[in-house]
Amino acid sequence: MRVVIAEDDALLREGLVLLLGGEGIEVAAAVDNPDDLLAAVDAERPDAAVLDVRLPPTFTDEGLRAAVEARRRLPGLPILVLSAYVEDSYAGDLLAGGAQGIGYLLKERVGKVATFLDALHRVVDGGTVLDPEVVSQLMVRRRSDDPMSTLTPREREVLALMAEGHANTAIAELLVVTETAVSKHIRNIFAKLGLPPGDTGHRRVLAVLTYLQGRP
Amino acid sequence: MLGSMRRRLESKWRDMWQALRLLAPTALTGFASLLVSPLVVLTVVLALVAPGRRLPGATALRAWADTERDRLDGPVPVSPDTSLRDPVVRRDLAWFGMHATLGMAVGLLAVVLPLSAVNAAMVPTYWWVVPENDPVVATYPVTSWGLALLNPLVGLIYAALSLYALPPLARWYRALSRRVLIMPADNRLAQRVAELTASRAAALEAHGAELRRIERDLHDGTQNRLVAVAMHLGLVERALRRDPAEALPMVLRAQDAAADALAGLRDVVRSIYPPVLAERGLDGAVAGLIARCPVPCSLTAVGPLRAPAAVESAAYFVVAEALTNIAKHSGATRASVVLSREDDLVIEVHDDGHGGADEESGTGLAGIRRRVAALDGTATITSPPGGPTLLRVELPCGS
Repeated sequence: MRVVIAEDDALLREGLVLLLGGEGIEVAAAVDNPDDLLAAVDAERPDAAVLDVRLPPTFTDEGLRAAVEARRRLPGLPILVLSAYVEDSYAGDLLAGGAQGIGYLLKERVGKVATFLDALHRVVDGGTVLDPEVVSQLMVRRRSDDPMSTLTPREREVLALMAEGHANTAIAELLVVTETAVSKHIRNIFAKLGLPPGDTGHRRVLAVLTYLQGRP
Repeated sequence: MLGSMRRRLESKWRDMWQALRLLAPTALTGFASLLVSPLVVLTVVLALVAPGRRLPGATALRAWADTERDRLDGPVPVSPDTSLRDPVVRRDLAWFGMHATLGMAVGLLAVVLPLSAVNAAMVPTYWWVVPENDPVVATYPVTSWGLALLNPLVGLIYAALSLYALPPLARWYRALSRRVLIMPADNRLAQRVAELTASRAAALEAHGAELRRIERDLHDGTQNRLVAVAMHLGLVERALRRDPAEALPMVLRAQDAAADALAGLRDVVRSIYPPVLAERGLDGAVAGLIARCPVPCSLTAVGPLRAPAAVESAAYFVVAEALTNIAKHSGATRASVVLSREDDLVIEVHDDGHGGADEESGTGLAGIRRRVAALDGTATITSPPGGPTLLRVELPCGS
């Protein structure tokens, strides 16, 4: 796997290179600003990009805009965004162009190397990975007329884990239930959110989007 | 046609009566003012040599002027000051002089004009009673029936003047009196409100900038360092599982990052409210700054300096920035800091460097000015090329 990294803090950038390199992931380029990132994406055509939300020059959401632009240049490029704090509008911006191959994690998750690498792999495989913090923040904002409010607590848990990018097997393990039970929950979620039967993978993404945006 | 003329005349008549109601008392009070004016002139002369230029009888003058303010429906000022320097006392005096002369003249004219009209109309009825060698004079000496019968025409002119000239005259004098007596919606107050509005906006702006700065410092310094700590500990964990020998450099890096995070946090905390201020007071805290300053520097603190936390914090910041500037740019061999407190907290930082401190180029001075302006204070710097440089900051303490 080849990735490019955009992180303006030198120590963190070097750390990421070290961390990914140690796990057999090739770091094709490690840059500190959005322009170099886009150049690297064009030149290296990596399998994924890992980038910080706050990049120069204004240190606001350059990273997000770079992510959107990178996906425009290289459609479907898996992107894992790291952020110092949770901002669900950021998540919304990122997912507006499709949720496949998008990850949004708090920076400190890199400390749990195994989880971080797992997230990166899931994003590269086209999954959606959202930080549990993002998920819980979105949960709080739900309105009462929202289809989300009809879900049982268990179904919400399942949906939250789907949003974090887990497959049924993993969800079953995490919740200590059978896979059949998970499938049943997921069918209920689809029904309650009014998602038509069909391609399961696509419906999973739609469910997560509903979850994120409060509308189907 | 006739009806409309009558209505016009009636309204003119009412206007004239209104003018007379205003100006007839003016004639009386103007005359009274004229009578006591020598006394007032005397008090002004006395006031010029009295301590504090206090005007004797200022309260009586104020009461007298206030009766006129009342009549003009103007606000009555509340100002206990009796000094000649007080703007209200000055206005009282100016009005008094005007009222005793111009006011009396205008008032008399207003009374005499309608009376003259009546007189002229009556002349044919009584001119022949008056002795021939001292005839009635109504613009001209009336010495024959012909002249007497012409006189009501003169009366018409007086009447026309009364009807048409008195109302504008009354309005003019009323406006003039108002301008002299009544403070124009209190200029000073309006100006003060404008200043406060501006300084409040500046304070909010400075507050916002301060919050952004703190957020940026925490994010770029502390938070990123702590992420680095977590990341390197993660690497340590991986290394320990595979080859423990690899772990040591990671541990050291994590340690460095943690130390950096602590140092950054300390700086941020200090920039918000230096803890030393609470422990040692402003003079103690500034003494600490001076001890760290590479340029030899003296401290003079006059009186008890305790001030609100925001003021002390700003003062500390000002001294810190000034000393940093001196150490970096001035080439000074000696500096001094003087802190004093009366109503305002005054900070003076002096150095014998080469001067030429430029407010535009350095962020230090601009930072000082912003921080001071946020508290409605003033900062002045004199720094001629060749030196010396003096920075003077006054911070109001809200009392």
